[in-house]
Amino acid sequence: MPAPGAGALTRPLTLPLAELGAADSSAFGGKSSALGELIAAEIPVPPGFAVSTAAYRAFVEAGGLERMIESALARVDPDDVESVGAASHSIDEAMRSAPVPETVRAEIVERYAELSGEPPVAVRSSALGEDSHEATFAGQQETYLWVRGADHVCDAVRDCWVSLYSPPAITYRARLGQTAAAMGVAVQLMVDAAVSGVMFTCNPVTGDRSMVAINASWGLGLAVVGGEVTPDDYLVSKVTREVVREHVHSKEAEYVPDAGGHGAVRVDVPEERRVAACLDRPALDALVEVGRRVEGHFGSPQDIEWAIARGAELPASLFVLQSRPVTAAPAQEQKPAPASALSLLMGTFGAGRDT
Amino acid sequence: MATSTPVASFPSPYEIETPPGCEGWEEMYPYYALFDERRREADEQRFWFWNSMHFPLPMPAFDAMCIDSPYQALGTWQNRVFAVPPAMGIDYRCVNGYIYISGNPVTDPAKVAERAEFFQKRAGYYFENWETLYESWKSKMAALIGELEDLRVPELAEYERDDVAFRDDGHTSFYEVLDAYSRALRLCDQMWQHHFEFLLLGYGAYATFADVCKANLPDIPDQHIAQMVAGIDVVLFKPDAELRRLARLAIDLEVDPAFVEGRSPGEIDAALMESDPGRRWLEELEKVKHPWFNVATGDGLYHYYGSWLDDPAIPYASLIGHIAALKAGEDIERPTEQLARERDRLAEEYGALLGDDARKAFDELLALSRRVFPYVEEHKFYADYWFLTRWWNKIREFGALLAEHGFLNDGEDVFQLSRHEVASALDELVLAWATGGEPLGPKHWPPIAARRKALLEKLADWTPPPALGVAPDAVRDPALIMLWGITTERVRDWARSQDGGTELTGAAASPGVVEGVARVVKTVKEISDVREGEILVCSITSPAWAPIFSKITAAVTDIGGVMSHAAIVCREYGLPAVVGTGRATAQIRTGQTIRVDGSAGTVTIVG
Repeated sequence: MPAPGAGALTRPLTLPLAELGAADSSAFGGKSSALGELIAAEIPVPPGFAVSTAAYRAFVEAGGLERMIESALARVDPDDVESVGAASHSIDEAMRSAPVPETVRAEIVERYAELSGEPPVAVRSSALGEDSHEATFAGQQETYLWVRGADHVCDAVRDCWVSLYSPPAITYRARLGQTAAAMGVAVQLMVDAAVSGVMFTCNPVTGDRSMVAINASWGLGLAVVGGEVTPDDYLVSKVTREVVREHVHSKEAEYVPDAGGHGAVRVDVPEERRVAACLDRPALDALVEVGRRVEGHFGSPQDIEWAIARGAELPASLFVLQSRPVTAAPAQEQKPAPASALSLLMGTFGAGRDT
Repeated sequence: MATSTPVASFPSPYEIETPPGCEGWEEMYPYYALFDERRREADEQRFWFWNSMHFPLPMPAFDAMCIDSPYQALGTWQNRVFAVPPAMGIDYRCVNGYIYISGNPVTDPAKVAERAEFFQKRAGYYFENWETLYESWKSKMAALIGELEDLRVPELAEYERDDVAFRDDGHTSFYEVLDAYSRALRLCDQMWQHHFEFLLLGYGAYATFADVCKANLPDIPDQHIAQMVAGIDVVLFKPDAELRRLARLAIDLEVDPAFVEGRSPGEIDAALMESDPGRRWLEELEKVKHPWFNVATGDGLYHYYGSWLDDPAIPYASLIGHIAALKAGEDIERPTEQLARERDRLAEEYGALLGDDARKAFDELLALSRRVFPYVEEHKFYADYWFLTRWWNKIREFGALLAEHGFLNDGEDVFQLSRHEVASALDELVLAWATGGEPLGPKHWPPIAARRKALLEKLADWTPPPALGVAPDAVRDPALIMLWGITTERVRDWARSQDGGTELTGAAASPGVVEGVARVVKTVKEISDVREGEILVCSITSPAWAPIFSKITAAVTDIGGVMSHAAIVCREYGLPAVVGTGRATAQIRTGQTIRVDGSAGTVTIVG
């Protein structure tokens, strides 16, 4: 266990994901705290740890970056692309040349060591605030895959912090009149995904909550999340597990771990695998089952990133990488005002009270 | 969905040509059943669709009774009793022997409002008192069937019975023949009157529940809605359940070796008669026969659809199959408990997905649908199967009487005459019998019957277009939607497939995808042609078809919704099914390879 550093007694710099809960979202960001909740609910989530916003602040303070950031942002006009770009560039340079403070670094190194054996990990930003769609818009959703070795993990954590000052993030906050910013980071064991994708525990198009909509493609999730392939598309009844709709598309590319052991690379999918369906019945069943449990835990339709690991059997090979609430459920909002059973029945015969 | 332009246009009913050699087919039908020039202007502008659900084959002249009477009854209940606001009754016309129907809409808003007052009160009364009314309905039907069974067709003896002379009962044979015949016709009218009493309300409750499900869960498959409502222990499943019981009994009594594939029912009975256990089994069979063998081999509306009593080959084939399956260690029982659990689980899980208000409507309508559904599922057994198969047999007795006196070459030819012509023939028969004069009938009727039999045979080769005339902008008639599954979408599909094509669409009735060889079955007689592993393509099925569902890999029908018999049975057997394709039997040929997607509701002709 890392020794609690001075000043971090009440505000930990890192914690295992398994120790986080909903109450920790302001200290660790939405993604990390949601992962903690999922683990508590016994949803299969790759183990890992979270870096808090306190760690970010320690980094900024130790590097004397506070003033620099403040003055760079002061010159920003959100409608002036060049001023945004210039501020982003100068903050980026300053942050990358500042070292990660030893207290933070030591904790990250030790947490990483607890995962044992220099495993490849995924390092993802964990934005503050309830609405993670906002974070997506603001460009605060950096993900670094297949990061290996303590030094690289620290670099990736810093890269996530830097992404707070990407041009879109600066513009977004400037429009809202915000200047202060902070961010958590989640570090998780990498799932060597044979297949991965996204699942909505409702039909995002119609809002039907009895359906699970699944997009899936070969390899790591980047291809689906980044919209680089047209994924296989499934609509499955949550209630009976029946596949209501299934479209298998040609999946031209996939992301796989780089042969050098660091990072992920995009490769062409061999011809014969492109048009093969990447999910079978047991995989769909396992996904729907997990989707139901995640939704049941959070109590609202969820947008879930998932991966199925190579070389393991279902359901143990299925992992949830993140989950967030589905914010828009179009059809549900357009529903007519509910009427009584009798008036609906009369309506069937064209004998409604208003006819 | 509503547009200002017609969704589709079909051939004019006045431009349909008579198939070569079928000239004069009109003589078989009443004058008002034809597309007549005197009402061309109106009829040409209406939307007519082929009612292949009830009338897949050209109508014999006598069988037209089962067009007039049901539409008299349906129209009365819908239009005159309940006054369903936007729709009066159903009109029919005959083209080349095939029956086309069209709804009569109510378009005047004031009239619709006036009818709504009636409807709310009267339908409300029925929904509130459903169980009581349904119990009384069942008694009425039982009494009616009893009356039919008691109806005696008198003989015409050389001398009247002594009773007539000595007991002054006033009923001479001439009167009794005429009275029995008119009573037979009236009993049929009465049956149809009962048949339609609850039908619209029953289907309406279900349709409303389906609407609520779809409004809140837009992707819910129709079959799940049907599953939530469907009864578990309904009469529909009873005949086959009894056969399974008899199959087990045969094994318990060790008389199963008598049930050899290829043996006729008579041969099996003869083998059973040789032993005590065999005779015991036959006694048990007798008990089951009444009433459970009163299930029709077709959908009941043609005289040649008899019951299992008339054609025991079908239940015996089923018995042979069940016994073989049992001996192979298979479980042949309907998993009723599992079905009931699944039905309740679906309802619970779908219900839990809804908000409070929607949940309330869902629960209430589900309860109402389940309340009315026994009638929806059971009326067919009592009315269409039990009564009607007995009734055709009663008419056969009149046919036999006419044949005995030379008015027909064969008693079965009675169905080639209209019911009014039969009345006329009987009139002359009793007249000539009474006077002792020479009847003309024996010279008059046989050639007519022969001509019509030939006509029907030729007309059977003609394929009727699914629809005629001008389609409405949207289908709004509750009866057409609920009873025939005719929706705006369906009409558009028909319009699209007018030029043939290799894809048909229908209702996704039972999930799964299967590719295989098609077997087109147009009449119940062709059931025995179905081979193991084939895909059944038919107009419609009935419970009597049960035995073939263990042979086939999927089913496609012309007409029917997700609550149709084929759909229900396929879901139970886990076979993909697409129902209500409009023209599968016309477009698909036996031997073709087809792909049935029971989840998407599509059928593709692969080659």
